Amino acid sequence: MSDYLLQQLANGLILGSMYALVAIGFSMIYGIVRLINFAHGDIAMIGAFTALAALMAADLPIIVVVLAVLLVGAAVGLAIEAVAFRPLRGAPQVNGFITSLAVSVLIQNTGILVLTAEPRSVAFPAFLSQPIAGLPITVDLVDVLIVVLAIVLMAALGAIVNRTRLGMAMRATAENLDVARLMGINVNRAIMAAFAIGSALAGMAGLMWGARYGQIDPMMGFLPGLKAFVAAVIGGVGSIPGAMLGGYLLGLAEVLFVGLLPPEYAGFRDAFVFGTLILVLLVLPNGLLGRAAEDRA
Amino acid sequence: MPVPVLEIDAAQVWRGQTHVLHGIDLTVGEGEIVALIGANGAGKTTVLMTISGLLRPRDGAVRYRPHGGDPVDLARLAPEAIVGLGIAHCPEGRQVFASLSVRENLLIGAYLRRDRVAVAADLDRVVARFPILGERARLPAGSLSGGEQMMLAIGRALMSRPRLLLLDEPSLGLAPQIVETIFDILGDINRAGTTLLLVEQNAAMALELAHRAYVMETGRVTLSGAAADLADNPEVRRAYLGAADETMAGR
Ligand SMILES: Nc1ncnc2c1ncn2[C@@H]1O[C@H](COP(=O)(O)OP(=O)(O)OP(=O)(O)O)[C@@H](O)[C@H]1O
Ligand SMILES: [Mg+2]
Repeated sequence: MSDYLLQQLANGLILGSMYALVAIGFSMIYGIVRLINFAHGDIAMIGAFTALAALMAADLPIIVVVLAVLLVGAAVGLAIEAVAFRPLRGAPQVNGFITSLAVSVLIQNTGILVLTAEPRSVAFPAFLSQPIAGLPITVDLVDVLIVVLAIVLMAALGAIVNRTRLGMAMRATAENLDVARLMGINVNRAIMAAFAIGSALAGMAGLMWGARYGQIDPMMGFLPGLKAFVAAVIGGVGSIPGAMLGGYLLGLAEVLFVGLLPPEYAGFRDAFVFGTLILVLLVLPNGLLGRAAEDRA
Repeated sequence: MPVPVLEIDAAQVWRGQTHVLHGIDLTVGEGEIVALIGANGAGKTTVLMTISGLLRPRDGAVRYRPHGGDPVDLARLAPEAIVGLGIAHCPEGRQVFASLSVRENLLIGAYLRRDRVAVAADLDRVVARFPILGERARLPAGSLSGGEQMMLAIGRALMSRPRLLLLDEPSLGLAPQIVETIFDILGDINRAGTTLLLVEQNAAMALELAHRAYVMETGRVTLSGAAADLADNPEVRRAYLGAADETMAGR
């Protein structure tokens, strides 16, 4: 395999890790409340600015920054659930979509008001941007950490969802809310857990974005958020493994599209992403790993 | 009648804009099997949902007497609290968690219980009662046949160690032979000390199993009494027992 192709694959894996982390939250939240949280990408932006603040203000060790971002992400998710989703439970789906769009715009506008739309540089510790020696391709330490951390977080998520009492309650609630209540499950808590966990992962993706590309701004969550949503739909919205798969496939496809075609096509990058979605859905209406809508509660 | 476990008193229940229960009175005594029969749409499921807390009466009371405690008004409680009081609801159409394994479905029935050792013992007991659930333990519940899912739904309800078990049409859509098996098991469960409130379209089988019964029509109780007496009642025979036989043949 040529080094060039190898480099593209590595880049796709890194981008895919971030898409996957954001896509998981879309899917978890859809799975449990049957609504898309259109403000989900903006939680990534908040995560990125949380990292910036933590690094600037206190020069905290990177592990503390990571924990702070996870916590803030979870807190923002819980707030969005309480303010925008819980009051609408049982209302028509469209109401939920519109409300979360409103929350998204609100977060972005508040960001612009408070922080200005000007992109800012995030100064991560210099050791992170050291290239890994001895490889035929350019990969920095931060890139390796992004991929490893994403995999660790996804493994942890898998363990929570499949091996714990809370995870079982979340899966049962996602499948049949009323019967979950008959089992004694506090479904509000299960829903809150899905929002907290999904949003913490989105916040983390924002930190990674800042660490890899160096610049962040209040609108940064919009397009990657939309693409992560596409990844979730490709994987089969509601399916967590589907979101992971969709995230990586989309990251790889996007990078390879730009990297392998002549440069004049690079501008069609986003059109390509959404075109892929349409193609996948034409062939597989429920996405790659999604179940038929009738199978859901 | 034995000491009442549950007393529904003039309950008025609405579902959305529809007034479904027009003042229901119903009592279930400790250790009894009480059948609730009636045509499609009479409101039987609505009665069970009102007991388990999925619906709230606009008016009237749903009183439950916990072991040796003061009566509790269930109308004020959420379903997740009511199951903790010892009332399990096995819902219409089985509604097992299709994507969870058979074993997880059983364990989730014991969701509120913290006594791990006793839960494990009850799991063994349920599997002993329904051996097929042991054989299929690791498979997703959605892969089970209808009869197996019904057994799983009953097993799941038993895992909460209910004192009062609400059953909504356990015979629905099942072959007569499987219905026989399930009704035998319901008899065993009752003899082991669990009180049953059994909603059924299959009036013949329900009246044979039950001690007492209520007949519902469009949101009201129209008849009640000893199950054997109702089975001999000409009106019941004409309206429900004949109809039940036809329904069985139709399946
Ligand atoms: N979600 C709902 N909104 C409005 N009305 C409802 C709703 N669900 C049920 N109903 C109405 O309430 C009435 C009683 O329904 P219920 O399901 O309790 O009857 P049932 O006796 O259990 O019937 P079946 O034997 O068919 O199960 C019916 O007329 C039904 O149309
Ligand atoms: Mg019914």
